[in-house]
Amino acid sequence: MGGNHVIVDYGMGNLHSVVSALRYLGVDPLVSGDPAVVEGADVLVLPGVGSFRKAMGKLETSGLADAMREAVLAKKRKVIGICLGQQLMAEYGTEEGGAHGLGFFPGIVDRIPAPASGTLKVPHVGFNKVRFEAESRLFRGFDSPVDCYFVHSYRLEVQDRPGLSALCDYGGDFVAAYEHEHIFCAQFHPEKSQTNGLRILSNFLSV
Amino acid sequence: MLSRNFRLQKVGNLSWLQQNYNFANVAFFIDELIVLDVSRGARDREAFLAALTQISAGCFAPIAAGGGIDSVDYARQLLRSGADKVVLNSALFVQTDLVTEIAAEFGQQCVVGSVDLKQDGVGGYDVFIGNGARKLGVRAAEALAWHKAGSVGEIYLNCIDRDGTGQGFDFGTLDVLPGNWNIPVIMAGGVGNARHFAEGLANPCIDAVATAHLFNFVGDGLMKARHALLDEGMQLAEWPDIGAVNFPKRGVSAT
Repeated sequence: MGGNHVIVDYGMGNLHSVVSALRYLGVDPLVSGDPAVVEGADVLVLPGVGSFRKAMGKLETSGLADAMREAVLAKKRKVIGICLGQQLMAEYGTEEGGAHGLGFFPGIVDRIPAPASGTLKVPHVGFNKVRFEAESRLFRGFDSPVDCYFVHSYRLEVQDRPGLSALCDYGGDFVAAYEHEHIFCAQFHPEKSQTNGLRILSNFLSV
Repeated sequence: MLSRNFRLQKVGNLSWLQQNYNFANVAFFIDELIVLDVSRGARDREAFLAALTQISAGCFAPIAAGGGIDSVDYARQLLRSGADKVVLNSALFVQTDLVTEIAAEFGQQCVVGSVDLKQDGVGGYDVFIGNGARKLGVRAAEALAWHKAGSVGEIYLNCIDRDGTGQGFDFGTLDVLPGNWNIPVIMAGGVGNARHFAEGLANPCIDAVATAHLFNFVGDGLMKARHALLDEGMQLAEWPDIGAVNFPKRGVSAT
């Protein structure tokens, strides 16, 4: 389990809990907002909570977006995006007028549709079931849908794309987690999903 | 720690909690932890942030933290010390701009609105702010109407009359919510046993139930309550007990 694990710090969200979860699993991550450190990472974690557009602005102006593209797309470093981190890894997000994402995989991040019946509340907050494909590496060791903790108002749309998607139904299916080659992400918070999430993170570290 | 109808009853600091109630284990039986700085008088923010950091290091569930938030900057400090959400109480009514600013900066889902309600003796409820110390001069439903617009992601309804009593929820507090309320409701104040949790969860207006009582005063009551609710077929999230899972050994030893 060698290599340096870098958590990308661009000033948005709870980095502390991701650090705690990785430490619990026996990895000592480096938290950094330095593009050179990010570019040189062996394993990257992109957490985040908040606005897609604001986050992309910070990533682009700081040089972190290019550093991540270099590390992930050119050097093929293993990466996991969490919550907003998953969204930022997609092509485009419509929040606050829209912005281009990191473009690690195809897809659009859009608002959870306004509830027609009045029973569906947005944001989607709490534990919900995630259905995964049997070959999933992230969900190795689970045999039935997994309760994971979500808190979000925007979600990645289901569409044909290479790799495996795990789905969650909240007013329709959306992409709850995705994996393709060395790229992984989760809309839920594995670091906040009790032992289910710890196992998912452990699986990511073991890949 | 503050309970029993908001009369300050000191039950112990963080290390007391960890020593006496095996908090590391208790934390695996909750869906979410709410940590409030209920200090009366001058708050020691550094100490609270340090305690929050310590708590969050061993809690792999979402954490909402609050108490005395009066700036975006302090909200950010809480979020950087292990909180996933911030709990705003007084600000909901007397500093509404701050609520909007925090929601704009960190997202609406990051803001939990906490409302302390006390029966007014004529069938309604008064809102209390400032740790339950000051009565707001506006009717509860009126005071909350503004929040329907969507500045908060969740609302935490606490009944001061029931808080710490273990007598069960006062469902009358739900009546203060404006019509067509579409924001998740966390119900608090009065849980004394698993039955009270079940009554709360069975109410269609309630999305989550909270307690300080079982957690503080009855040892492993929370674990037993969760298992009892699952045995009854309640829809609760499930995960293996921490003792039942093994993770591969890696470089750094867990603390």
